[in-house]
Amino acid sequence: MNEQKLPKVQIIPPRTELKQRAVNFTKGFDVDLAPEQLEELEKVVQRSSDSFVRSIGHDLTESRQLVIDAIGNADLRSAAVEKCADLAYSTKALGGTFDYPLMTQIAKSLEIFLAGRTTANRRQLMVTQLHIDAIYVILASRVTGFGTSIEQATTVALAKLAARYAEPRE
Amino acid sequence: MSAKIDFSKVSFLVVDGDKISAQVVFDTLSYLGAVSVRRVGKPEEAFRILRTQQVDIIITEWRLRGMDGLEFLDSLRNSTSSPNRFVPVIMLTAHSEQQYVTTARDLGITEFLAKPFNAKALYSRLVSVITRPRHFINTSTYFGPDRRRRQVPFDGPDRRGTDKRN
Repeated sequence: MNEQKLPKVQIIPPRTELKQRAVNFTKGFDVDLAPEQLEELEKVVQRSSDSFVRSIGHDLTESRQLVIDAIGNADLRSAAVEKCADLAYSTKALGGTFDYPLMTQIAKSLEIFLAGRTTANRRQLMVTQLHIDAIYVILASRVTGFGTSIEQATTVALAKLAARYAEPRE
Repeated sequence: MSAKIDFSKVSFLVVDGDKISAQVVFDTLSYLGAVSVRRVGKPEEAFRILRTQQVDIIITEWRLRGMDGLEFLDSLRNSTSSPNRFVPVIMLTAHSEQQYVTTARDLGITEFLAKPFNAKALYSRLVSVITRPRHFINTSTYFGPDRRRRQVPFDGPDRRGTDKRN
């Protein structure tokens, strides 16, 4: 009887040079940061908030124009889809970090809608444009947090709209 | 006296095509006292740095131009020409769904952090990488840090064999 041999497993001990070099009892940051230290660290992250707002604002304007042009010109559609997919991803990634979780929600809806697409039809571009407009409104009105029930309802409606026009995917 | 981490003795490489995201990580590391922080947008540039400089921790995005973060990780861990197969890698990404986490884990990620992230979560991943170095496992199908995080008691001769049968 041929018994299949189990694959050999090599267990390599952890490398400890980094720990030895960086961990000490006199200099540096506590392993468990105090709440005040964490607050300070959070402030460091928030310092980039203005750069984020400027960058996303610029990308939104550019993407919106590309989508409008692509609605009237099929040759421009794949470039518009690519740009909007990038925008959706970066907005989803960082919105919540800068206290714009609603923006992250809408961007996530757009990202799912554009995932794997190389182009989009006219209606799909209009759905994309609505997402971009919604993100722009959040940014321009500085809607931090999860917004009111109206804003939440708008987000849900956008996700439903995206689901409705998801097909065909190409 | 509690243990401290001197980040000035740790060198970092941030691989992220998004300038704002890379900036946030850079600012956080700088605040913590890190003096050696390199930022690149593409894995090819990361490999160039890895071949010529010491890098202790890599923080990478999944979505990258050209070779994505996962291919980058795969090359880093499994290629015979890899400059540093053992370097700890923190994947910081907005691809946060479970299947992404599992895929990254099975390719040898050290820590996973989902975007949007906060400073506390990033700090805890950095601390974990530095203070709790893990065994590396080398099999015919996997090379990377031990994927078992929980200490589950086992009474028997061959837990891996048991895993396979179950």
